[in-house]
Amino acid sequence: MGTIEPFNRLVKLAARAFYDDITTKGENQPKTGRSDNRGIAVVVLDALTRRQWVREEDLAKDLKLHTKQLRRILRFFEEEKLVARDHRKETAKGAKIYNAAVAATGDSQQTGREGDEKLKMHTHSYCCLDYSQIYDVVRYRLHRMKKKLKDEIESKNTVQEYICPNCSKRYTALDALRLISPYDEYFHCESCNGVLVAESDKLATQELGDGDDNARRCRHEKIKDMLTKMEEQLKPLIDQLARVKDLPVPEFGSLQAWELRANAAGRSANGELNPNDPSKSSQGFGFGGTPMPYVGETKVEVAFSGIGEEGENVKPVNANKPVKVLPPWMIKEGMNLTKEQRGEANKEVKMGGTTTAPELSDDKKSTTADDEAKNIQDEYIKAYYAAFLMRQHGQEETVQKEQESTNATISNEVYSSPTERQVGMKSKRDDGYEGDDVKLEEVPPTGGRTERFKVHDLNVEAEASEDDEDDIDWEEG
Amino acid sequence: MFFHIVLERNMQLHPRHFGRDLRDKLVAKLMKDVEGTCSGRHGFIVAITGIESVGKGLIRDGTGFVTFPVKYQCVVFRPFKGEILEAVVTMVNKMGFFAEAGPVQIFVSNHLIPDDMEFQSGDMPNYTTSDGSVKIQKESEVRLKIIGTRVDATEIFCIGTIKDDFLGVISDPGATS
Repeated sequence: MGTIEPFNRLVKLAARAFYDDITTKGENQPKTGRSDNRGIAVVVLDALTRRQWVREEDLAKDLKLHTKQLRRILRFFEEEKLVARDHRKETAKGAKIYNAAVAATGDSQQTGREGDEKLKMHTHSYCCLDYSQIYDVVRYRLHRMKKKLKDEIESKNTVQEYICPNCSKRYTALDALRLISPYDEYFHCESCNGVLVAESDKLATQELGDGDDNARRCRHEKIKDMLTKMEEQLKPLIDQLARVKDLPVPEFGSLQAWELRANAAGRSANGELNPNDPSKSSQGFGFGGTPMPYVGETKVEVAFSGIGEEGENVKPVNANKPVKVLPPWMIKEGMNLTKEQRGEANKEVKMGGTTTAPELSDDKKSTTADDEAKNIQDEYIKAYYAAFLMRQHGQEETVQKEQESTNATISNEVYSSPTERQVGMKSKRDDGYEGDDVKLEEVPPTGGRTERFKVHDLNVEAEASEDDEDDIDWEEG
Repeated sequence: MFFHIVLERNMQLHPRHFGRDLRDKLVAKLMKDVEGTCSGRHGFIVAITGIESVGKGLIRDGTGFVTFPVKYQCVVFRPFKGEILEAVVTMVNKMGFFAEAGPVQIFVSNHLIPDDMEFQSGDMPNYTTSDGSVKIQKESEVRLKIIGTRVDATEIFCIGTIKDDFLGVISDPGATS
């Protein structure tokens, strides 16, 4: 992605130049001082310059706008070709992928979409500024404005348009053949036979002429004035266009591509696997194999990673055993490094991972046994795992206690807790960690997991810790 | 503008024409079918100048008709935007005037007629300058510039202007060329 700043400035200039009096109220609706929302378009465009792909509901919440209003504005911009929109059906899990992606790009305003909806598919809409199109659209607009004024000045070569006053149907001079009537000398409308009126040049005939010559000269002067004023007022925009001309356009790609990239980037930044892989399998999205190079990930990922060829191998495995999603030792210090949401997502999925840890750990054992000899990175991962397990030991007790907490409050608490924790520090998180683990265990992402969750809860953790304790002899330095 | 191009067409021939003069009959039929027609893509086919090749005939199932693919050279006329043509005025109207340049019809709206020419109705409606020196009426020859073409599948229609330099009436009706 190229430098985005000059493009953002271009967007802001264009918004203020052309869209600063757009209102979402219709022509006939009363416009009181309070309900007049002219200029809202500028606010929306400015907000979009600070985000990449964003869910429309989230944007509405951030801007304190009604979703419907925002939708109307975004639809308008989509028609103006400034904004790209994507609508897709998702379950709550899918929203998590997006959340993680956004978190990875540093967006701090995330509201997750957890709920009790297990597999309900809602259509979520996403929007993003389309910079290359914006550049073209602004240039085209300027070109058309200048052309219209110049044509008026020289008053040549414009195709005459005709309007029927009855049914307001429009014709051009090219239709003239069909419009002539045998009876009189005027053009008649095809449908209602009303006499057509030539659409005179609006710019030229705004003022009633004094005398013919004077009128024409006045018109000429007015148009020339308009042209000079336009060029002068649009100068900053034109300069920005020139500056931006040679720069590479920032390209976010389609929504899915962007999510993949953002997740991979986040992953490589944090050295941990994408915990949203389980949601992938649960949703059956065609995330597909965009092979992404990641830093510092081990072959253990072969079983679990979602991105890359491994992803494809994983998918059939995951399809068979939806519970087997993430190994618990994947989730670790990453918690501290990533955003709360990411952590949230991590935790949630993790719970899926922890409960399936028994199956996973077996696999892991075999793979880890193989990998031990291989990379330093492997050891690093295991060290993380060790740290995690240490934590889990302490958590086990509280896990049992908190298992009794209700499901209903889980989702809410899951989201409220992050905000609390944001204030807090690592230590707090460790404590609250258990709570989350517990709660998430009881809210399985898919129906199939529930049983396993309950069955394996304590067993899982006990086994896992025991097994891995044996493996882990070394501590990271 | 006029072009000399090679076109191809599948001609169907009734068996009664088979015989010694098959080829001549085929060519005659081609000329009858094609000359004077208009295709949106090539323009008006003015005249066939020669036959390039006649392919093998294919007998259609069920009937005795035979289809020959024929390649022929011809002169076509296709107007383009920005082109300058001479045309003959056919109808004068309050909204402008219609002129013909060979097979193509051109409409010049009053908006694109110089401002000093006023419409005057009557049994011979015309456009006249204030001093009466220049008059556009039926059968006048005018030079005009095409500013737009409308191309359908089988029809071409143009609009033009005489508001530029060197455009306008060339000669009056009835004057010998």
